[in-house]
Amino acid sequence: MTNSILRDAAPVHAGRTSAARRTGVDWMLVVAIAAVAGTFVRAMLFTPVEARQGPAQKIFYVHAPSAWVAFLAFGLVAVAGLLYLWLRDLRLDRIAESSAEVGLAFTTIVLTTGPLWGKPVWGTWWTWDARLTLTLFLWFIYAGYLVLRGAVEDRAQRARYAAVLGALGALLIPFIHLSVYLFRTLHPQPIVMKPSAPSLPGEMLTTLLLAFASFTLLYVALLRARYRLATIRDERDDAVAAEDAG
Amino acid sequence: MPDNGAYYHAAYVAAGTILIGYALSVWWRLRAARRSPGSGAPGERG
Repeated sequence: MTNSILRDAAPVHAGRTSAARRTGVDWMLVVAIAAVAGTFVRAMLFTPVEARQGPAQKIFYVHAPSAWVAFLAFGLVAVAGLLYLWLRDLRLDRIAESSAEVGLAFTTIVLTTGPLWGKPVWGTWWTWDARLTLTLFLWFIYAGYLVLRGAVEDRAQRARYAAVLGALGALLIPFIHLSVYLFRTLHPQPIVMKPSAPSLPGEMLTTLLLAFASFTLLYVALLRARYRLATIRDERDDAVAAEDAG
Repeated sequence: MPDNGAYYHAAYVAAGTILIGYALSVWWRLRAARRSPGSGAPGERG
């Protein structure tokens, strides 16, 4: 995935024309949005309603894949940040920055859809239990990560500070996943990402797996687009700095 | 079966709005960056 992202930035340097640049349309993003829309339609119209929770259970097909993508995104922030500290390659910093922003968008979906599911099922919008509170902390850490990036002028210093914060923030991810086992909580235990087989009927499991796939595709498409933006911005800053120096 | 369809409709609308809104924000910033001077992408300007 990283190679694909880096390769995608190459036309900016080389000035080559690609289909995306000729038409101005990012076809991967279009396909990914269509895939997510298709998943929404399948979940709403062609997936059975769970008898005990009622239609509100269908929030699951948005909530759980968004959480998966958020964890994947922040995991990549940590890996790219640590690799940056080792290799000092600013492309890795741009990957981390891009992944953090996309991950924050998906975490916002988790924190929005969760209360909308909790109210009809638990009888409350929010409770300060371990999983919910840690997820809120995760959102604040990566919101702070983006604020930090905006506050430091020097590119290398910004990349170094951000790499450390990004890696430390990702330490929360395993705690969030395991919090339902470690603490007393209203939040249900995983029904797919667990050691034993998934405990879902076939049609529901198919919809959920399609949701995981389409959300992951959308994450990759958004990451590519956001990485391209960071590359163009850095090149523009370099050109302005060179002009000022000359 | 409980009648709570409004919650799930609201959740899908919220998720769709956040995703489309974020995708549009990236697309808009990318377009602006490509059009700005010194972007290194002359074919995209104007």
